[in-house]
Amino acid sequence: MSLNCEETFRRFQDYIDRELSEEEMRLVREHLESCGMCAEEYLFEDRVLRHIRKFLADNEVPADLSERVFGALDRDSGV
Amino acid sequence: MNALASRQVSGFSLNFVYGGGDALRQSLRAGFGLSIQDGQQAELARMIDREEFERALRPVLPLAYRYCLNLCGNSDDAMELVQEASISAFRAFHQFESGTNFKAWLLKILTNQFLMSRRAQSRQPAQSIEEVPELYLYRQARRFGVSTKVDPFELLLDKVDGLAVRHAMSKLPDEYVVVAVLHFLSESSYDDCAQTLDIPIGTVRSRLHRARRLLQASLWQIAEERGYLPNEVAR
Repeated sequence: MSLNCEETFRRFQDYIDRELSEEEMRLVREHLESCGMCAEEYLFEDRVLRHIRKFLADNEVPADLSERVFGALDRDSGV
Repeated sequence: MNALASRQVSGFSLNFVYGGGDALRQSLRAGFGLSIQDGQQAELARMIDREEFERALRPVLPLAYRYCLNLCGNSDDAMELVQEASISAFRAFHQFESGTNFKAWLLKILTNQFLMSRRAQSRQPAQSIEEVPELYLYRQARRFGVSTKVDPFELLLDKVDGLAVRHAMSKLPDEYVVVAVLHFLSESSYDDCAQTLDIPIGTVRSRLHRARRLLQASLWQIAEERGYLPNEVAR
């Protein structure tokens, strides 16, 4: 069994998220290895999502975060 | 690793060991079988809960803050949310099952608190999802004749800073943004997201896919408004 472009496209997001079964992951991978157009779409989308993930994770955390949170807990407990 | 701590509880001094498991904690809560008054015992139990809570919370606080920041879109609201949710979590800490996933439990509380605060002002998407095709940025690049072989970072994302991404996130409807931030930031699987948000896995999948499309459309719009797009695209 093999996938065509349309069937591969429908599985893109789940493939990027590694949410397909092992068998489906293999089928998508095989299609991407043999279809330049789909491979280009996939690589672009995968990179976009990786960059977005990095942006979200790189947000600076205030130096006094713990102090403020535990201070709020102390105030709430009447300490 | 165990750590010894000494605390004063209403004049009653006790050395106790952290990380000793449920049996030890039960003994501590029972005052080691020593004869202490009810008030002292309750205070001792509260103190032990607080120590345990602090130990569990501290390592996940940066993630919790970033989660709130990306949900709320600004640092003041994020700080308020993380503080309020931490207080709620501490009050409910007796319900937390020791040995289970504290991070997932906290994220659930943060999400509920966020959704409750947003109930009155739920956002609507700036664009209808039907207007936004799959692989939006890729299609836009092709539409404007920009090479899609380049890394999208070079196309547009190197000029879009974290603030712009937060701004784009903040345009998503609440039910989409919680799934997207949870998935992107904590790298939760669809199943983990479904459990944290108490929604079916199919709903996680469809909301996440829609969130990505809307987010990409929003990023493109921001780049266009700010003049970040390459010369080929700029009109």
